[in-house]
Amino acid sequence: MPVSPEASDEASSSGQGLAIAAESLYLINLLVLPGLGFLALLGLFFRYRRDAPSLARIHLQQTLSASLWAGVLLIVANLLIVVLGGYDSGWTWVVAILYFTTAHTTLVFFGIFGLARAMAGQPYRYPLVGNLLS
Amino acid sequence: MQLQYKSQAVAKPYFIAAIGLFVGQILFGLILGLQYVIGDFLFPAIPFNIARMVHTNLLIVWLLFGFMGAAYYLVPEETETELHSPLLAHLMFWIFLVAGALTIVGYLMVPYATLADMTGNNILATMGREFLEQPLLTKLGIVVVALAFLYNIGMTILKGRKTALSLILLTGLVGLAVLFLFAFYNPANLVKDKYFWWWVVHLWVEGVWELIMAAILGFVLLKITGVDREVIEKWLYVIITMALVTGIIGTGHHYYWIGAPGYWQWWGGIFSAMEPLPFFAMTVFCFNMVNRRRREHPNKAATLWALGTGVMAFLGAGVWGFLHTLAPVNYYTHGSQITAAHGHLAFFGAYVMVVLTIISYAMPMLRGREANPERAQVLEMWAFWLMTVSMVFITLFLTGLFYWLRWIAGAVFSTGLVVYLYSFFAKDKPQTAEVGAAQPAAS
Repeated sequence: MPVSPEASDEASSSGQGLAIAAESLYLINLLVLPGLGFLALLGLFFRYRRDAPSLARIHLQQTLSASLWAGVLLIVANLLIVVLGGYDSGWTWVVAILYFTTAHTTLVFFGIFGLARAMAGQPYRYPLVGNLLS
Repeated sequence: MQLQYKSQAVAKPYFIAAIGLFVGQILFGLILGLQYVIGDFLFPAIPFNIARMVHTNLLIVWLLFGFMGAAYYLVPEETETELHSPLLAHLMFWIFLVAGALTIVGYLMVPYATLADMTGNNILATMGREFLEQPLLTKLGIVVVALAFLYNIGMTILKGRKTALSLILLTGLVGLAVLFLFAFYNPANLVKDKYFWWWVVHLWVEGVWELIMAAILGFVLLKITGVDREVIEKWLYVIITMALVTGIIGTGHHYYWIGAPGYWQWWGGIFSAMEPLPFFAMTVFCFNMVNRRRREHPNKAATLWALGTGVMAFLGAGVWGFLHTLAPVNYYTHGSQITAAHGHLAFFGAYVMVVLTIISYAMPMLRGREANPERAQVLEMWAFWLMTVSMVFITLFLTGLFYWLRWIAGAVFSTGLVVYLYSFFAKDKPQTAEVGAAQPAAS
């Protein structure tokens, strides 16, 4: 299905491409390239935070906020492992599995919902973890 | 409201049988859950190994009923023509149902070794392997039913419109039938035995079944969202490509410790790590289509099931699969309750839910209406949440004391199933006029 130039301009002026990029980098950080995805998202945020269209700004703010929360939760999970007896303890698996299947996965799902919204040109507010920068 | 094509009606008995067998599967799941904490519960009448075999075999059979029903419902609409032979579809339904029922009765009434003797296992030994425990006669029956089914669906597609949806579905169904043939190959060498056993088990659920799932989801989303067919088809191409590319070589994650060459630890690990991709894409696909919908379909319950399928398939098959398929992790988790947890959530999220999605969409049509009454839909959505949330907890209770909690979660799941069954009979309550309600409001 060819995209008409008008539709392409419209998407560009609404910041849809930037919104999709922000959500993609958020997911890349969680799933494929932890750290690098976050740095790229951070770069995108500081580059466009003032002059981006509102749709893109919302997605940039939400994804960066959720990424920071993801970092905090990861630190908390590691602290919990240390407190419960260190990485060689049997509790490591309990914490790791619970963290991965609940906290990490929830953050990934938020990213998926956000990406689907961005692809439809709609805003998305991350539940609980999207408030840090607003 | 009438069906677009009369022959779609053959899907109805398939869906009813699927739900009936689903109830049986859950019943045996509850028995198994109790046997974990009360070791001699129902012993010796129903030993654990027999209950487990019934539980898993019922799952496979009812999902096959669901897939066949889905195909009989969606292929006439996609091809814009009546089914090649509704009579053959009805005949195969009864053959499959009777063969399935006799097999389950055989498991429960006859010692397994005697059953093997009685059903020709000495002629061609195919029994005794996990999930493929069916007697030779049942396996042959499955082949006959599958061939007749493929003939019927294939001829319908040949004479009608060819769409990507129906061709993806057909490819998945042909793959399902062809790969089942490895159930007849049972070499004496244990390494070879396990090696090819996975060609049925893994290449079904992490290969061709994903095609069937994508086609069914695509069909339901096409109908309930009104999004252009071209958009849906492009998504499906991406999803099935990723499913096959990652799933076929991903079989290697089963070859780590069975005596297969060591390179499988690399191949299996790398491709398994990519296996969540098609499920990830499927979730984005479902939400993207619903966000871009062009119509408000009255069947809200079907929309919920479709979205739930995307989410739970990614969680169960994608996340739980990824969790333990890297070789260094699998070294510690292999054969543990992590595998059972993954199996439960993946089967429920991907295949149970997609069959319930098509049933939720098609059953009202098969009963002469576009959508169920509102009260029935509310009940169905309650059933969705009860079953889905409890299944998440079933997978999280992995050890010792928690087995009681797992059984309680199973009981909640069963409650959800009862609510689901009740939703088929629920009607809207008649509106009662209250005194004064008819008074015109003062402006």
